Amino acid sequence: MIRFDKVSKTYPGQKRAALDEIDLEVTKGEFVFLVGASGSGKSTFLRLILRETRPSTGNVYVAGKEINKLSSWKVPKLRREIGTVFQDFRLLPNKSVTENVAFALQVIGKSRQEIDQLVPETLEMVGLEGKGHRMPEELSGGEQQRVAIARAFVNRPKILIADEPTGNLDPTTSVGIMKLLDRINRTDTTVIMATHDSSIVDQMRKRVIELNEGRLVRDEARGIYGYQN
Amino acid sequence: MRAILSELRASLSRNTSMTISLVVTMSVSLMLASLGLLIQAQADRTERYFGDRLQLQVNLCTKNSPAATCVGGVATDEQKQAVQDALRSNPEVKSFSVRSPQDNFEQARALLGQTDTGRKQLETLGPDSFPESYFVTLNDPQDFDGVVSQVSGMDGVGNVNSLRELLGPLFEMLDKLQWASLGTALLLIVAAILQVSNTIRMTAFARRREIGIMRLVGASSWHIQLPFVLESLVAALVSAALAASGLAAFMHFVVYGYLRDTLGTITTWVRWQDAFVVMGWTTALSIVLALIPTLVMTRKYLNV
Repeated sequence: MIRFDKVSKTYPGQKRAALDEIDLEVTKGEFVFLVGASGSGKSTFLRLILRETRPSTGNVYVAGKEINKLSSWKVPKLRREIGTVFQDFRLLPNKSVTENVAFALQVIGKSRQEIDQLVPETLEMVGLEGKGHRMPEELSGGEQQRVAIARAFVNRPKILIADEPTGNLDPTTSVGIMKLLDRINRTDTTVIMATHDSSIVDQMRKRVIELNEGRLVRDEARGIYGYQN
Repeated sequence: MRAILSELRASLSRNTSMTISLVVTMSVSLMLASLGLLIQAQADRTERYFGDRLQLQVNLCTKNSPAATCVGGVATDEQKQAVQDALRSNPEVKSFSVRSPQDNFEQARALLGQTDTGRKQLETLGPDSFPESYFVTLNDPQDFDGVVSQVSGMDGVGNVNSLRELLGPLFEMLDKLQWASLGTALLLIVAAILQVSNTIRMTAFARRREIGIMRLVGASSWHIQLPFVLESLVAALVSAALAASGLAAFMHFVVYGYLRDTLGTITTWVRWQDAFVVMGWTTALSIVLALIPTLVMTRKYLNV
């Protein structure tokens, strides 16, 4: 599903590489934790998958497409196969829960019928049934993150990228979010989650990829957090 | 589509003041541009009426010509031939064209038909009131004395006019007015383009969150650009409509209400059909003015 083939990335004006000779593969339906200190290269790793940037050397393959060779007008199509969730939720404050989720489908030109079917279905799946008319400010942090997950998943992407999705949430709420991501993963969706939350990683016992100063320092099948600040 | 239209509505209401200022600048610049184009149409019309501004006009005798060379009444075929031969053999003459009395009568009808007094005058006139004329193009337009002195004394020649001397001031005024209006229009067009760019930058900033999400979920570039393009298009069409109304008012009050009546004897004035052509051009111009900076700026600020 995702393959990094000797990938290095150095940003213009920087001496040190943000990513250095990364070689790895993530197969379909895997759940992967991406750990490492701030500045270790996690964000660059995720940005490469989303084709928000290109590698300096090496190749990145996502959903069968070679990122380097992907022309810019094909990038939107790639991104429709990837859902993204952020630490700060990034909901549109002037739209209701339903409208926020529907927005993701409207802007890629889905029909009204599809939207009317998929949005309530997804809201139910993330546990927000009956809250579709609420505005984001009326929701708790955990609920807002569920809306963001619904928006990322409503188009049934092959890959879900979560960039510290529990970073703003208390431990109990975080567990709920992890259960939701696990459920999504069981629909054969590949999940890649960057996190600093050791208890979650230790509990889930999924594959752990650790980056340190741009280098891949650990890749364990059923790993624990292990990384110390 | 419904989503795009609601985005457009939201965006227009969010940017009301920016949009109004853009529409004002754009309509004033389009109005000036259309005046410039209308003056151009007027100059063309005047030129068509009088012939080329650098020509000499040789009028032969009519039955009523008072000149001493017209004692025999209407110029005879021999006299016509002699004048034509003289023009052909004169080295200062480049070429000449013939306008028949009937053509001259038609021209006069168009001119005099513009006013009431002119229409009354027309009742007493017929094609035989008008001379046969030769419109002479000179090798050097400054050097017309030789030809004038040669043909003005010939039998059958009623008079010789230098159109350059007659019409020079009129054309000069039209030229100046045209350049003044087009020059000012150009300045304002630059301002309008900058305003389009500014509006887009501000809208892109106001909508950065939406745009970020759109890019992330895989909205195509045109889908992200479309609300901006539509917004500019709406502003452009409103401006074009305002400019067209301004031009229509000018036609109604100035051209039809004043010029045709009071200055109808000078030349034939522009008509509604000229104004409609100009409106078509300015509408096209407004669309280009709005779309090009919008497409360039959305690429720059939206990173699509």
